[in-house]
Amino acid sequence: MSSAYARREDERLLSGRGRFVADMHMPGCLEAAFVRSPVAHGRLREVGCAAARLVPGVAGAWAAADLSAVSSCAVPAIGLPDLPPVPPTLLAGLSTPGAVAGRDWPVLATDRVRYAGEAVAVVVGEDRYRAEDGAAEVKVVIDPLPAMVDTATALESPVTLFEGLSNVALEGSAGRPIDETVWREAAVVVEARYRQQVLLPTPMECRVFLAAPTVDGLTVWCSHQMPHRLHRELAALLRCPPDRIRVIVPDSGGAFGSKSPTFPEYIVAAHLALRLGRPVRWVEDRMESLLAATRGRGQDQRVRLAADADGHLLAYELAIDADVGAYPHLGSGLPLQTARMATGPYTTPRVHATVRSVLTNTMMTYPYRGAGRPEATAALERTVDEVARRLGLDPAELRRRNLIPPGSFPYDTPTGRRYDSGDYAAALELALRTLDYDGWRAEQARRRADPAARPLGIGLACYVERSGGEPGGLHEFGGVEACPDGTFVARCGGAAAGQSHETTFTDLVSEVLSVPATRVRLVEGDTGEVAEGMGSYASRTAQIGGAALQRAAKALIEQARLRAATLWELPVAEVAWSGGVLRPVRGVSPGLSLGELVRATGPLRVDERFEGDMAFPFGTHAAVVEIDPDLGSVHVLRLVAVDDCGVVLNPAAVHGQALGSAVQGIGQALYEGVPYDEAGVPLLPNGLLDYLLPTFAEVPPIEVLTTITPTPVTPLGAKGAGESGCIGTPAAIINAVADALRLPDPTLIQMPLTPDVVWRAARAAQGGFGGDGGTEGDQGVEGGR
Amino acid sequence: MKLPAFDYLAPATVGEAVDALAAAGRDARVLAGGQSLLLDMRLGRARPDALVDINGITGLGQVRVEEGALVAGALVRHRAFESAGVAPGPLGRLLSLAVADIAHPPIRARGTMAGSLAWAHPASEWCAMAVALDAEVELRGPAGERVAAARDFFLGPHATARAPAELITAVRVPLLDAGTGVAFAEHRRTAFCFAQVAVVTALTVVDGVVAGARIGLAGCADRPVRARAAERSLLGAAAAPPEGGGTPPPGHPFAQAGRIAAEHDAAPVAEPYADPEYRRQAIAVLVARTLSGAVADLRAHGEADREAGGAR
Repeated sequence: MSSAYARREDERLLSGRGRFVADMHMPGCLEAAFVRSPVAHGRLREVGCAAARLVPGVAGAWAAADLSAVSSCAVPAIGLPDLPPVPPTLLAGLSTPGAVAGRDWPVLATDRVRYAGEAVAVVVGEDRYRAEDGAAEVKVVIDPLPAMVDTATALESPVTLFEGLSNVALEGSAGRPIDETVWREAAVVVEARYRQQVLLPTPMECRVFLAAPTVDGLTVWCSHQMPHRLHRELAALLRCPPDRIRVIVPDSGGAFGSKSPTFPEYIVAAHLALRLGRPVRWVEDRMESLLAATRGRGQDQRVRLAADADGHLLAYELAIDADVGAYPHLGSGLPLQTARMATGPYTTPRVHATVRSVLTNTMMTYPYRGAGRPEATAALERTVDEVARRLGLDPAELRRRNLIPPGSFPYDTPTGRRYDSGDYAAALELALRTLDYDGWRAEQARRRADPAARPLGIGLACYVERSGGEPGGLHEFGGVEACPDGTFVARCGGAAAGQSHETTFTDLVSEVLSVPATRVRLVEGDTGEVAEGMGSYASRTAQIGGAALQRAAKALIEQARLRAATLWELPVAEVAWSGGVLRPVRGVSPGLSLGELVRATGPLRVDERFEGDMAFPFGTHAAVVEIDPDLGSVHVLRLVAVDDCGVVLNPAAVHGQALGSAVQGIGQALYEGVPYDEAGVPLLPNGLLDYLLPTFAEVPPIEVLTTITPTPVTPLGAKGAGESGCIGTPAAIINAVADALRLPDPTLIQMPLTPDVVWRAARAAQGGFGGDGGTEGDQGVEGGR
Repeated sequence: MKLPAFDYLAPATVGEAVDALAAAGRDARVLAGGQSLLLDMRLGRARPDALVDINGITGLGQVRVEEGALVAGALVRHRAFESAGVAPGPLGRLLSLAVADIAHPPIRARGTMAGSLAWAHPASEWCAMAVALDAEVELRGPAGERVAAARDFFLGPHATARAPAELITAVRVPLLDAGTGVAFAEHRRTAFCFAQVAVVTALTVVDGVVAGARIGLAGCADRPVRARAAERSLLGAAAAPPEGGGTPPPGHPFAQAGRIAAEHDAAPVAEPYADPEYRRQAIAVLVARTLSGAVADLRAHGEADREAGGAR
């Protein structure tokens, strides 16, 4: 649809004229710094803020008990109750009342700390330097308790995070249990265990929040994915009439799923702004972010996959112990996404997935780009490759025999999903052709005959994912207004954090209206300007918000025709619309522009809400890797990503999303991981020098292609895009590495595939690529303690 | 991650700098490139009372060749070594090979070789270079000037023989003779991070036989290591890489030297993704590969080095 490849937002963002919360000039603003627990688990004996209050430039310092004392609000309209706990999110069944009952998350720790980095006190100062000087003077006494930073430890431990309550916050399943005879009678059954390591979303801009009291309320600026949710939750927490709070999302430096909660720090800053009658800002720094921002993934999986002798998949079982962190929030239900997507793109008739969400002494797990689907894809695709290996079948051929055929949609999976549309085989074949799969297989054979050649591996991953959200959250707001000056304002309930909404949606609305895109302005991320909204997560804004805007623009044309008909005393059918101008069908009248119509008849504005259904984007990713077996280094030689997100609204935006997510997928496969010390504290003392993201130097040649299978669930035909690389790429790379090393057991390597892990796997597989034999069974497992 | 308060002093001469460092009751630190110190201060690992900024002192920014050595003043930035012409013969090549793996261009534009030696990170390329090549550290303190040999200088992670009131004024690196081939190899997880292991090698060959070897290891102990046992094992061995290139096979003198360096010279410390066993493997591989690389370097440049050496 788009003819313009340059993004409209780039002129501002690339010339340094973006407007970010941390850069906003706000007279009288206090800056907050949080004092954080240095241990993962312990009883909080004392938090002493007296010395901090004496530091020059410090305006105040508080522990939880100090803030719960009777407080007065500087804004009379607002009740300002005691400091409330973090609101749990039961949105779309992603958590349950049973999971959160009795497990409140205090915004400042009260009697117990449950993760390293949990806030125990706050200091505000004239600037961040002063606030940090004050924070350094806060005295914290904690009696340590045993730290449980992985699911196995938390499941076995007699100590629980919440007295009298299990460390299992939630259990669930998808599909029906599989009869044992299926496994007994199958020609091949592969069993394996996988670790989907914990990842840190790591947006360039960490969390930021600024709250400024107004005469009768509060204005908040925040880099956030769901401004209306933040608005709603803050109003409830602060006992403030909703119309007295306004939440504005200015330019945002990335989110990747990590910026939709109402975080403890936000509640504290808003509370203090009202209490002190001054603006209060919190700008998270990178070290805080690595410790106390949300984490993604974190699953320990056990799988069983059965196939007949021809390679037809018969049954698949997936058992997940999910590491959901210290407090049950939205992330505790997130592994159910993995369970529901366990079927993948195959016709496997029997699939059963079970979930235990296990509390651990870490910051909470939360959606991170891909959110449950990468875990499903990695588990299934690695196991499918192993079935192929055992049967002596080419992995591409085994997939061909099992992909859901294009004539089968809508397709109801054994795990309860209804796939909307797809041509999975077309994506696979395009990926194979683009990669020159047969050529690389020939090169692999050549190298296998040459002992001096480095091992080469080819990995495939076919995936299907879900976009739009879950039932109960499948609607979005879109509005279009015609202005007297002939321009248009489009209003969207989403909030962009790098997804090119300004370009995509102004193009979309201008095309429906058949007016130049320069005459359309997008307004979003402002609860004062946009009546309602769900927000931007789950790859939903193009699919659902786009449909709402399309509907609103069409309705605007109809209303305009109706008004013109009344004005001209004609039947509506005799009023034509083209190029932004209304004309009587008959006659030679020059007609009326929409601006003229508004000037003549008053404001013209349409607000729409579109409710759709889930869509299921899919694709195939293929990777070629070369291994340095002596060092265990993995070199990705080539990556092909074929994605199908239905109708593409803006090719440049979709391409950028595919590329960026593929690089993050490479990050999961090869580099990113969080090791912990003995006390359960993340071992990242040097920040991003320890938590390694792929850099420009690590990005291989990546070819991104699309196939287009429109979805029937929205009139636009667009499915969500933007998470594909996180979903398909890790599995393709790990399969390529396993292929290069000819691993006899997929359990031998776990992500991230760091050189030490790969070297050990190579040694275990071959009895010593390195030339000096190996000790068996000592494969490194990330976070393995 | 904000810097705590500190006094800032900007002396104009080395004498003033030493006075500032020596002033009683102060935990003063030298600020040269600031690429490590300022990060440590932001992370709360260093909390000096005062920074003595030496960037305004004239004369510390020069590189010169003097009495058979390259002398780099305390303010010579890493990037000065990016051209092999910084020193004649094999030394210039070796420095330029190694500097390419030191951090990235903005840091190389600001950080200094002397600062790296003062910071003494166990994975530092320059520290490994210093012990391998018998560099000397020129120091000026309240009691005057002294010279410390690199082999005595490094005492542990971020610990050196420099007294708190002493300023490193220059690093002196002896030139390498013609007939010497050099190589450098570094193993790290991404282009952005510290080395897991790095190896500096200089091999002197006479009549096809190893007559002298210098091997420095970074990331292989709590301080830079000179792999003397490995060096000794090479003396008298044929300076011939394996047929067809690649990693020397077990039994080849270069592979044996690598194994000796890993088992006898190194004392690897555990880190995430690099336990001692893995580090020893990487050391063995990199030492062997740099030895092959040094022979290749000699074959490519040996003749030119001899001609240039004759002219000097």
